[in-house]
Amino acid sequence: MSILQQLKNAVRQRSIHVCYVNTGSCNGCDIEILACLAPRYDIEQYGIYVHNNPREADVILVTGGMSPQWIDKLPDLWDRVPEPKAVVTIGNCPISGCVFNRPGKLIDPPVSKYIPVTAAVPGCPPRPSEIISAILGAADILFKDYEVHQKEKEGGGQS
Amino acid sequence: MTVFTYLREFCRLSWLKAFFTVKTPPLTKPSYFRDFPELTGKECTHCLSCKMICPCPGAIDVVQTDGVWNPQITQGHCVRCGYCVEACPEGVLTSGDLLARKKEQGLVFAHEYIIKIDTGKCMGCGNCTTACPVNREIDPHMGAGGTSLSSDVLIRVEHGKNTVKHNERCKGCKVCMTTCPNGAIHVIRNVAALQEDR
Repeated sequence: MSILQQLKNAVRQRSIHVCYVNTGSCNGCDIEILACLAPRYDIEQYGIYVHNNPREADVILVTGGMSPQWIDKLPDLWDRVPEPKAVVTIGNCPISGCVFNRPGKLIDPPVSKYIPVTAAVPGCPPRPSEIISAILGAADILFKDYEVHQKEKEGGGQS
Repeated sequence: MTVFTYLREFCRLSWLKAFFTVKTPPLTKPSYFRDFPELTGKECTHCLSCKMICPCPGAIDVVQTDGVWNPQITQGHCVRCGYCVEACPEGVLTSGDLLARKKEQGLVFAHEYIIKIDTGKCMGCGNCTTACPVNREIDPHMGAGGTSLSSDVLIRVEHGKNTVKHNERCKGCKVCMTTCPNGAIHVIRNVAALQEDR
């Protein structure tokens, strides 16, 4: 592995940009994400920065069980995120719809039907520590040696 | 205190090391945290108390593996409310300090079934009275599709009006609910948390 790649890995490990999207959650999970920003958990010491702009983001945090308004917008938003990218869903709603998944519901879970989900954090809501470890875990797998994997993929495609 | 004091401080190896590596306390859960319920290893009697009290659809199931019944939690559905831990009479599930607190307080759950009849929808056909297994046991005439004058039965049509005579005899089978052609009957399971006297 080249020194440049090692340097990229080291830098990327401490620079994960996050954008959170609320697709119709009750705000419980959003509050837990907010708790990650506060000094008790302090997400920035792990090198995770929050931008509410998908064009700047590496990781998208999805909360909520897909309300009808989001069904066309979320894949659109996902297309705008630059590579390498990942989705981490927060809470039960993106997995199962949780308390909103009742007869006569409007939501349409799971979120993985619309965009590829890398990691899902169960819980209603999950602990901030669980959210942070999920983001760090997903980012490690996706961004480590990204260029090398990309070249391997391209090479495999040509031959 | 000049700017050089600061610069010298920043060059100290221990400061640099702390600056780059030290984090706030590690990402661990406190011992009292009410996490997803786990098995304690006690024998499950398949009474389904946990499943009946669970507020989330599809969160808990009691499954049989190798001839042993055990509750199974589905992550992504479970909201970690801890009702199943408290409701289980055998203490099969545990979560945080919930089981210890339950024991300390002597917490038990009592339940009763309430039969609610919508008088606007009920036409007094008596399908429910003949279908009810408790009625059949008390008065065989009911079971044969006939009428009964016995006042011991659970539910009876009196003067064209469906009346619940003995609510406490209901076993909660919901046969009346399913046989009613108008959807006039609802069986409600009412759970109360009680504290035993110490």
